Amino acid sequence: MEPRGVGRDARAAVITTLAFVTAVALLPPGSYLALLLAWLLLTFAGALVGISPGHLARRGLVALPFVVAAVPIIFLRNDELLWAGSVGPLTLQISGAGLRIALTALLKAWISVQASVLLLALASPPSIVTALRRMRLPDVISTSAGLTIRYLELLRDEARRMLRARTARSASPVGVGRERIGGTIAWRARTTGNLVGSLFLRAYSRAQRIEEAAASRGATGSLSVGTMPVADPRLTIKVVGVLVLVLVLTLAGALLPRL
Amino acid sequence: MYPQLHIPDGFLSPQISLLLWVATAVLIGIAVRKTSRTDVRLIASQPILMGVLGAFIFAAQMFNFPVATGTSGHLLGGVLAGYLLGPWAGTIVMATVIGIQALLFQDGGLLVLGANIFIMGVIGTLGGSYLARGIGAVLGGSRSASILGAGAAAWLAVVAAAGFTTLLLGLSGTTDISVGLPAMLGVHALIGIGEALITVAALTFIAQTAPDILAGVSAPRKASPVRRLATGVAIAGVVATLASFFASADPDGLEAVAEELGFLDAGLSAPFELFPDYTIPGLDGTASTVVAGLLGVIVVIGVLLALGRLARSRAKS
Repeated sequence: MEPRGVGRDARAAVITTLAFVTAVALLPPGSYLALLLAWLLLTFAGALVGISPGHLARRGLVALPFVVAAVPIIFLRNDELLWAGSVGPLTLQISGAGLRIALTALLKAWISVQASVLLLALASPPSIVTALRRMRLPDVISTSAGLTIRYLELLRDEARRMLRARTARSASPVGVGRERIGGTIAWRARTTGNLVGSLFLRAYSRAQRIEEAAASRGATGSLSVGTMPVADPRLTIKVVGVLVLVLVLTLAGALLPRL
Repeated sequence: MYPQLHIPDGFLSPQISLLLWVATAVLIGIAVRKTSRTDVRLIASQPILMGVLGAFIFAAQMFNFPVATGTSGHLLGGVLAGYLLGPWAGTIVMATVIGIQALLFQDGGLLVLGANIFIMGVIGTLGGSYLARGIGAVLGGSRSASILGAGAAAWLAVVAAAGFTTLLLGLSGTTDISVGLPAMLGVHALIGIGEALITVAALTFIAQTAPDILAGVSAPRKASPVRRLATGVAIAGVVATLASFFASADPDGLEAVAEELGFLDAGLSAPFELFPDYTIPGLDGTASTVVAGLLGVIVVIGVLLALGRLARSRAKS
């Protein structure tokens, strides 16, 4: 199997990922067994295309910090108290229901991130945009998304160089404990704003050059012409398979025991 | 590594996620229509400008400046994009950026992408840009007034977006609004200052260096005193409504909502309640949880090892 196929119809991969993420989101709180099933399916698919589950699991951790948002309900819900007591001056209680909600959200986020990592391993960014265009994403959006992806690394690299130059000019903290900071906050913000402004001007003149180049080749504004890959002949059967997958996961959520 | 700014999947209920997908789709549809109708300014092909500026917003989000040890101000860029491209085209650019962040960088989930676009694109960019125009007009409609307006709107947009995020999380039952809202608003009131300062500085720089670009992009409007007064009253109304909305986030006021939400939860999860209170037979609740947890860990480790071998052999062949 050839991974990251450029110019292949990525619709099946995109649909599968969206359906999978939706099915996972639909699982009720506490359905750890169904989540385990979802994770098993995902890691198995990953292993089939040569991605180790450990790699997926690590990439999934990026969503971890967001769990802070769910922390309050662990302590503030009043049902299924697991523990109540005082820590120093605070009276605290831990709610089993709150814990379940937080843990479920965390696991769902972790699994869903892995699903989109897998999508990216199967389909290149341009082929994802093409697939979305085939799925009736408006032309303005797909063209500008395609260009954003194309120029992303270029401009990020430019930004990185500007930041390095700024550091060299020491508008950032210096010293052992980074305790010396130049200027006032407003001055530092203006320095940064000037960088943003000049990056905009560079991006703008680049856009002008691209526009001229495109116009001189006869482009009319949409860059999405003539790049459609051959349609996946087995798309229908794959979509049916995806629906079965969603059904299995939803049934698992309904029928498997929850804690 | 890339910072996580957006809501991941799993933290919003499917109902709310889908509702916001619909709202976002409608507004983006309007934006697409408006953008293809407006015609164009200095650059003849708008998608090209939008695409490259999408990459610019992406890169500009890397810029930060130290505020105090450990904290830094940085840019999200919603109002900046709206000012430079116009509210509707700016909204499309931000929506595209957020979509790419979700798909390519796993920053923000896919099912909740509609919600993330609504928060940063519709509230942060569309709302923020119109607010910026309004404030700019009230302040007199000169270039510097409109830039100041953009700064004020940038602050308000960040705070409003943070408040709306918390409300969505609260409605989904994933956070407690009475604790989450003050915390989120407090943090984002500070983040918003960084956003506002960078937005003002960047626009000032562009206005000084390349006034012709800004002149083509968004000419400040001169408004009559009556209009300015009316706009001012309208903006004050919006801000006061927002403020009172957030000020009423005390536990008492939210008790009722929470109760309602409790019912909502119960009602929505009903189809899944086929085997309520299921535990592993022969064990009481706590023990079964522990046993199930241990079993889970063992299964997960086994699968990791087995599939890891499979993946290695697949990758080699």
